[in-house]
Amino acid sequence: MKVIVIEDDADAAAFVKRVLGEAGHSVDVCGDGESGLSQARSGDYDAMVVDRMLPGIDGLELLKRYRDAGGRAPALFLSALGEVDHRVEGLQAGGDDYLVKPYAPSELVARVEALGRRATGDIPTTRLTVGGLEMDLLARTVHRDGQKIDLQPREFRLLEFLMRHAGQVVTRTMLLEKVWDYHFDPQTNVIDVHVSRLRGKIDKDFEKPLLHTVRGAGYRLEA
Amino acid sequence: MKIGRLPALVRTTTFRLALLHASIFILFSASLLAYLYYETAGHLSRQAEAELNAEFQELSAANRGGFDRLNQAVTERSGARGKFFYLLQDSTGQKSAGDFDFLPAPAPETQVVDVNFDYEVRDTNGRPVRRSAQGRISRLAGGGVLMVAYDVGQLGEMNRRITEVVWRSAVVGFVLSLIGGVVISRSAAQRAEQLARTAEEVMAGDLTRRAPVDGSGDEFDRLSEQLNAMLSKLERLVISSRSAGDSIAHDLRSPLTRLRNRLEGGLREDKVDGQRAALTKSIEEVDGVLDTFNAVLRLSRVQAGATGSFRRINVTGITDELAELYQPACEEKNLTFSYLPGGELFVQADRDLIAQALSNLLDNAVKYTPEGGSVTLSVRRLPGGEAEVAVSDSGPGIPPEDRDRAVERFVRLEQSRSLPGSGLGLSLVLAVAEAHRGRLMLDSAGGAPPNAGLAARLILPSA
Repeated sequence: MKVIVIEDDADAAAFVKRVLGEAGHSVDVCGDGESGLSQARSGDYDAMVVDRMLPGIDGLELLKRYRDAGGRAPALFLSALGEVDHRVEGLQAGGDDYLVKPYAPSELVARVEALGRRATGDIPTTRLTVGGLEMDLLARTVHRDGQKIDLQPREFRLLEFLMRHAGQVVTRTMLLEKVWDYHFDPQTNVIDVHVSRLRGKIDKDFEKPLLHTVRGAGYRLEA
Repeated sequence: MKIGRLPALVRTTTFRLALLHASIFILFSASLLAYLYYETAGHLSRQAEAELNAEFQELSAANRGGFDRLNQAVTERSGARGKFFYLLQDSTGQKSAGDFDFLPAPAPETQVVDVNFDYEVRDTNGRPVRRSAQGRISRLAGGGVLMVAYDVGQLGEMNRRITEVVWRSAVVGFVLSLIGGVVISRSAAQRAEQLARTAEEVMAGDLTRRAPVDGSGDEFDRLSEQLNAMLSKLERLVISSRSAGDSIAHDLRSPLTRLRNRLEGGLREDKVDGQRAALTKSIEEVDGVLDTFNAVLRLSRVQAGATGSFRRINVTGITDELAELYQPACEEKNLTFSYLPGGELFVQADRDLIAQALSNLLDNAVKYTPEGGSVTLSVRRLPGGEAEVAVSDSGPGIPPEDRDRAVERFVRLEQSRSLPGSGLGLSLVLAVAEAHRGRLMLDSAGGAPPNAGLAARLILPSA
């Protein structure tokens, strides 16, 4: 993926560049709003990482102008302001995701990669397929290798999210945000238990596991 | 009193009030004295005036009988040496009768005119004495002139004395009121000064200073008491935030030390696998530090009231979701999870904050309840209309004497130190409760010791 990082703090920018670079993405860095906006417009980026507080035009304004000018690359806001209203502002300005500082690098990578997938997967789908696992979004049914799997509604949504981001790492926080719509970090392993129950249903009777645990980061569904 | 202090004194509210009081006092005493004057000196002059009128009327009656008749009447009266003295002139201006020799003012062409004038008489030793008189001059129908006057010397003296007394009393009253005002103002200013000094000392860093309370229970005492109460609260907050700062430092030191050791261990590791393991452990350690950090930030924001989008929401909606979220975790640990929903219960709240608070309570319950125990999440409406969400468990609970401390920042009670946690969970629940004008109650769940259990109840005002 080709990612532009617009962040005025040089250290933070270098860190983001390294983390994303190590995950195999090519990263351009801009230090202020004006040049960031013009570069985002001219370059063909798959995703943007924008700090909310920038000298010149701030992150929200930058993204509004970028969207007004027809820019379509999905954007992730980085911000020290993490309350719900701040997130809502970010999303209203045209952001696709919001990550609060300080964050774990794995969280950043997972979210940026999730953004890239969203950009390419804009076409409405009714079927999701990962290996032998098939999900029919209209009939709300799941089959693996032709065998029907019964899921609770929440498990269905959890699996849908994992399948939409197949091959990518998704973090526990992302799952709580996207599947349960809560923005906080539970201390205990509530999410892990839900994932392991889901795993019991989709992987248990099959030879090849699809749902993998990524240590220190989260989970990945992959054939 | 130093002169240099006067302007400050004049600026005080109390002084202005004293001045106002003095003015009102003057106004009242002036009215009182005016009334006194009216009833005394005024009465006398009115009486003299009335007598003069009567005298004039009688003479007018005599005049209707002809000039000679009048002449005779005036002559008689002059001879009687009464209160009045007279002068009658004929139409040519010659004195015709009376005991006065000249007209003090020119006679009017028609009608009458009142006059005030001075004249000289000789006393018994033949020395001239100036006297004041008041009278009336009238042009008679036949062209003559009649004057009747009376001596006002005695009356004038009385008037003058009364007037003098009135003015003197006014001046003395004004000065006394001013002095009183200054005295009151000075004592008030002094107490205000004491308050200001206390505030200055506190600002200079001595949080133990308190404003003096003299026990009189007046406004200044009440103000001092309020100020002292505020200072005590401030002192407690400063101490607690200072200790929170210490706790943060202390709480982060151990994981950071562990992190450093791991990284160093990783550096000494020759094999890639060992290095990888050390780094993975290090990352977990850093994630823990980040979690603590985020929790501290979040707690500060909630406590500062700088967060949350409050809207009318159904608490049961949140508990439904949390029950679903936590049930598997409970079953995983072999805990019996019960959920007792309480129908629709609307509160004015921030969904995420409430969910976070309840999730902290559920996390605690899952963490501290031994295997085979039970966790119950229940929602109900209290008789007062408030919404109560309770999380109770069959764990060890919190001894009554530790319950207040349990909600303080970074406090980790003895039995919990072996388990992971930041010591901020209950602090956040309390902060969320307070941000919603609600309460957090910690009680025993009523089990038999050592597993008395904890019943944590979050009570929110209904909307």
